[in-house]
Amino acid sequence: MISVNNVFKYFGDLKVLNGVSCEIEKGERIVIIGPSGSGKSTLLRCMNLLEQPTYGEVWLNSQLLTPPDPYLHFDVIKKSKTFTLLLEQLRAENSSLSEEELEQMAIMKIKAEDLLKKHEGKEYKKSLKEITVKYGIDINLARQNMGMVFQHFNLFNNLTVIDNLTLAPVQLGLKTKEEAEKTAMELLKRINLEDKRDEYPSKLSGGQKQRIAIVRALAMSPDVMLFDEPTSALDPEMVGEVLDLIKELANEGMTMVIVTHEMGFAKEVGTRVLFMDGGVIAEEGTPEEIFDNPKNPRTVQFLKAVL
Amino acid sequence: MNFFSKIFELFSTEKYMEIIFEGFKTTLIISVFAAILGLLIGTVVALVSISEDSPVTRVLKAICKVYITIIRGTPMALQLFIMAYVIFTIRGFPEEITAIIAFGINSGAYVAENIRGGILSVDIGQTEAGRALGLSSRVTMFKIVIPQAIKNVIPAIGNELIALIKETSIVSMIGMFDLTMAAKIIGSGNNMASYVVPMSVVALFYLAIVYLLTFAIKRIEKRLRASDKR
Ligand SMILES: Nc1ncnc2c1ncn2[C@@H]1O[C@H](COP(=O)(O)OP(=O)(O)OP(=O)(O)O)[C@@H](O)[C@H]1O
Ligand SMILES: [Mg+2]
Repeated sequence: MISVNNVFKYFGDLKVLNGVSCEIEKGERIVIIGPSGSGKSTLLRCMNLLEQPTYGEVWLNSQLLTPPDPYLHFDVIKKSKTFTLLLEQLRAENSSLSEEELEQMAIMKIKAEDLLKKHEGKEYKKSLKEITVKYGIDINLARQNMGMVFQHFNLFNNLTVIDNLTLAPVQLGLKTKEEAEKTAMELLKRINLEDKRDEYPSKLSGGQKQRIAIVRALAMSPDVMLFDEPTSALDPEMVGEVLDLIKELANEGMTMVIVTHEMGFAKEVGTRVLFMDGGVIAEEGTPEEIFDNPKNPRTVQFLKAVL
Repeated sequence: MNFFSKIFELFSTEKYMEIIFEGFKTTLIISVFAAILGLLIGTVVALVSISEDSPVTRVLKAICKVYITIIRGTPMALQLFIMAYVIFTIRGFPEEITAIIAFGINSGAYVAENIRGGILSVDIGQTEAGRALGLSSRVTMFKIVIPQAIKNVIPAIGNELIALIKETSIVSMIGMFDLTMAAKIIGSGNNMASYVVPMSVVALFYLAIVYLLTFAIKRIEKRLRASDKR
C-alpha cells in the first residue's frame, strides 16, 4: 500500500533519515518506536509528504508521490551518455567480466558518485520530468487516502466540531453538505460526542479533541491512517479513551502506521514493529520478536530504558 | 473676549462651520478611500509574500519586499510630494485622488506587514492538518488560516487606520484643504485672528473619530473572540 524506497531527509546539514525503506501492506498495523530524535515523526510525515524527502521515493498504491529519484530507475541511468561512456571504459579495463556484471558496476559507480547530476545537466532534468508526467503525481488526491492524526490534535480552531468533520469532504466535492453531516453525526455518535457537534475545539478536553481528530480523518474514508504519538500530549486519565478508539479501528482491519511511546499498546495492537535509531530502521519484526527477543543491542538498550 | 465666547462665535458663524465641515469632508474622504485601498494592497502583498515558492512568485515576492522597504523607509510627506509633483502632475488632476493613492500605497505596506505577521502567527499545525486531509493550499489558507489570522490582526489594523487618519493632516502641504487646514484658516488674521479655539475644536473632531473607531474595533474583536473562549 505505502512503499518507502531508500528515503533520505536532510534539514539543512542535519541528516535525519539515512536511507529508509519499508513496505506497508493492506491490513498491516505498523508500530514505529525509537529514541527521541531518531526520525520517527519525519518518516511518518514523509509518507504523506508533509515533509519532502531529500532523496528516495514514496509510493501509495503504485502511485509515485515524490519527484522520481533517477538513481532508483535503472532505465534512466541506462539511457544516459554517462552510462554508455562508463560502460565502454569498464569493458576495456575488465575484459574478464560479463556484460551484466559490467552494467551493474557502471550503475553502482554512477549512483555512488552522483554522476548523472554532474554530467548530464539538462538531460537529467528532462528525464526527471518525463517520469513525473508518466506517473501524474497529485499529492492532494493521494493525501485524501491517508488520514493523519497529530500529537497536538490540530483541530481547526475557527470551526465547530461538525464543521471540522465536514470541511474536507465537502470542499473536495466528495459529499454534499447533508451527506457529510450525516456521516459526521454517525462518527460522533460512535465516540459518544454527538452533543458536542456545535462546540468549538477550545471547549473540549484533550481526549475529546483527539478522538474528534481521529474521526475527522475517518470521515474521508482513508485507506490508511498515520498516527504521530496520538496520546503523548494527553493527561494520563485521557490516554485510555484514545487508545481504545485506535484499538477498535485496528479490530476493524484498518491499515495503520503508529508512532508511539506506549509500549504495551504497541505490543498489543501492532502486527509489525519498526525500531528506529539514528535515521535508519535498526531492527524490525513482530511485536514478540522485538519486545521479547530483541537482537540489536541498541533495541535492547532502548527497551531497557523505557520498560 | 474669553475662550468660551470664542467657541460660541465659531459654532454660531455659518462661514466657519462651513469651512470646518468642508475640511472634515476632505479628511474623511481621503481616510476612508485610502484605508480601503491600503487594505486591498496590504492583503494582496501579504498573500504574495507568504505564497509557495515558484519562479513567478519569487519575482513578485522581491517586488513586494522592495515596495515595503521603500514605503516604510521614507517619510510620508515625501511620498505625498512625489505623488503630487512627480507622478500626477497633470493640470486639474483631482488632488483628492492623488492623496488617496499616496496614503493608500503607504498604508498598504504597513497593513501587509500586519497581515503577514497575523498569518504566520497561526499555528503551523492548522495548515498541516488541512493539507493532510487533501485540501489544497488555497482552500487551507482561506478556510482555516485566514479566519484565524483575522482575529490576531484586527487590533494592529485598527491602530494602522487610526495612524492613517491622523497622518492625512499633512495634505495641507500640497495645498489641500482638510480638517487641519480648516483650523488654520479660521484662526488666521482675516477670520478669528486666534488659533486656540479653532485648533481645539478641530482636535476634538479628530479625537471623536479616533474614539469611535477604537470603539468599533473593540466590538469587532469581542465578536470574533466568541469562538475561542478558553
Ligand atoms: N522542520 C525541521 N527543521 C529542522 N530540524 C527538524 C525539523 N523537524 C525535525 N527536525 C529534527 O530532526 C530530528 C528528528 O526529528 P523527529 O521529529 O523525526 O524525531 P522523532 O523520532 O519523532 O522524535 P520524538 O520522539 O522526540 O518525537 C530531530 O533532531 C529534530 O530536531
Ligand atoms: Mg516525533
